[in-house]
Amino acid sequence: MISTKSLSRRGFLNMGVAAGAGYLLPKTGLISPAHAATPLAPVAEEDAHIAFGHTGPTSDEGWTWAHDQGMKAVEAAFPKLRTSYVESIPYSADATRIFRQFVADDANMVFATSNYGDFLYDVANRAPDVAFYECDGRSPLENLGTFYLSHWYPSYVAGIAAGAMSPSGKLGYVASFPVPSVYSGTNAFLMGARSVNPEATLQAIVINSWFDPQAATQAGTALIDNGCDVLFGIMDEAGYLQVAEERGAKAVMWNTDLRRYGPNAYISSIIVDFKDFYVEQVRRRLAGEWTPTQDLLPFGNGVDVDAWGESVPAEVAAKADAVKASILDGSFNPFVGELKDTKGNVKVAKGATMSEQELYHWNWSIEGVSGLDS
Amino acid sequence: MDILAGLIQTAFLAGGVLALAALGEVLAERVGVVNLGVEGLIALGAMSAVVTVVSTGSPWLGLGVALLVGLLSGMVFATATVVVRANQILCGLALTYIGTGMAATIGKPFSGTPVPETFSPLHIPVLSDLPFFGRALFSHNILIYVIFLILPLALHYMMFYTRHGLNMRAVGENPAAADAAGIPVMKMRFWYTSLGAALASGAGGYLTLTFVPSWSEGVVAGRGWIAVALVIFAGFRPINAVLAGLLFGFVTGLGFVGQARNWPVAASILSMLPYLGTMALMILPVVTWQRMRRLMAAPDGITAPYFRDQR
Repeated sequence: MISTKSLSRRGFLNMGVAAGAGYLLPKTGLISPAHAATPLAPVAEEDAHIAFGHTGPTSDEGWTWAHDQGMKAVEAAFPKLRTSYVESIPYSADATRIFRQFVADDANMVFATSNYGDFLYDVANRAPDVAFYECDGRSPLENLGTFYLSHWYPSYVAGIAAGAMSPSGKLGYVASFPVPSVYSGTNAFLMGARSVNPEATLQAIVINSWFDPQAATQAGTALIDNGCDVLFGIMDEAGYLQVAEERGAKAVMWNTDLRRYGPNAYISSIIVDFKDFYVEQVRRRLAGEWTPTQDLLPFGNGVDVDAWGESVPAEVAAKADAVKASILDGSFNPFVGELKDTKGNVKVAKGATMSEQELYHWNWSIEGVSGLDS
Repeated sequence: MDILAGLIQTAFLAGGVLALAALGEVLAERVGVVNLGVEGLIALGAMSAVVTVVSTGSPWLGLGVALLVGLLSGMVFATATVVVRANQILCGLALTYIGTGMAATIGKPFSGTPVPETFSPLHIPVLSDLPFFGRALFSHNILIYVIFLILPLALHYMMFYTRHGLNMRAVGENPAAADAAGIPVMKMRFWYTSLGAALASGAGGYLTLTFVPSWSEGVVAGRGWIAVALVIFAGFRPINAVLAGLLFGFVTGLGFVGQARNWPVAASILSMLPYLGTMALMILPVVTWQRMRRLMAAPDGITAPYFRDQR
């Protein structure tokens, strides 16, 4: 499209404008508002093909494993339909090729288990009779829905236990990338910890991967050496839990119950469960009721805190459980202003409640979190 | 001070994988065979070590099986590249894909199982209790001492101070001349390539038996490629190779410490450190000191298959 030969200064400036416009789009949030599209035609169960495109290996005992459990639940609920899946899809044009292959293979519904963005968008755009779901997706279409977890609530509850169990008040966080999931996770965790220890702070290390046990182990060690005594993170494996166990620190995990890797260090985990959601969406697709949704799986039904670890004192567990109950019955919302960012600017006014959309798109750190906003 | 000690300690732990794999690659490249299958070999070794230890409970046996698996895979690779004389680059890439894929498939039932018994740190009387050096240097597991002390010194002595080592290097530099001098070129290439593969696979065993004690697909995360690069960086010398591994582990750790201590440098720059550092150290000595060009040069006969009737 752009040849280097004809690249004049004007052409160069135009490229800058195009890049600038591209940068603005995602910031505006939802590109097309949710609306009632025409449902896709029903499919007989024995003719149906449901495909899953995973970011990691299903054997990771974490994120992809949880999605794989969801696929198994779909198979159990609809034994006659056909499922297929591809693991460890890279974030490259290969992803487009794989999703296109699903379509060519007569898939009626495709789940992409993490944010493939434009690599999926084009495929969905050209296959209007196939239903697509993108986890952590940000640009819905007529036939492309998005879903994610309201993981900030369990992160807040786990933060209460972490704050109570951290003598130094220094929490550590092994982050993948500075993305909204990481901002909302760190902020919610620290807010929970501050509800019991107002002096608590959180230090994050970005390792540029969702799955790199070696780097996560090194990052966990660096955090503990720097005085952190409770670690949290968003890794698909147990690397930093094993460091915490060895060094006598504590850890909160993500995705699944990982206490066998560090029974003394384990506080809890942000447990994810896509089973009910997947079964329901497949049912709607088969019945001819499917229109795209933008779902956030609620606290208690899709995302939750795990049963407390053996080293969590009973009174700490009781306190956190009480807060969990009050969030669940709607009597308490932790995400109410006044909230300041790391530079001291008031971002959420006193008394204002953050909406679920704001929490989902959270892209700044609250005061006390360091390592993400630089 | 405590932070520096911790940094050096994890540098050894993390660098061990790279150092051992790089040592194996030095052996293969010194006899003129480039083995790009290191990534796959590490995965195979890491997986087979975990499978063995989960089934038997003995880390030594796990390491032994990892080495053996590497030796066997290396013999297959050497058969293809040395005996059949297929293209080394393509065979190496194939070995990476086969190794990674086989490890993922065979290891599936074992992923998510913590390794029950690992090589735990040795406590050396007096030395381990020293204030700074105790933690940095003398509280490691036994494999660290083997990888960073015994193996490189032994290989260095063998390669540069024995007749056998001279023969070995001759095979890599000029196989035709070596052949004329009566050195068994094929035999040398075959066995050192296989032995190098065994060490690379052993690096995988080291990884899952000490540093990250569980198997999951993707646990190697590209470290095999870095080991191949470090060999060039180390000028194909065993002592330099382990030092390069250590340096890489140190600089990676430094990036994390920098983030943990909130140095006013962007996290992305800190994550770039290991690669920037490697490039700088590769380029600077060669540019500033002419003699380094010769010292760091690759063996002349590298990647070229040897046909006796075409010399």
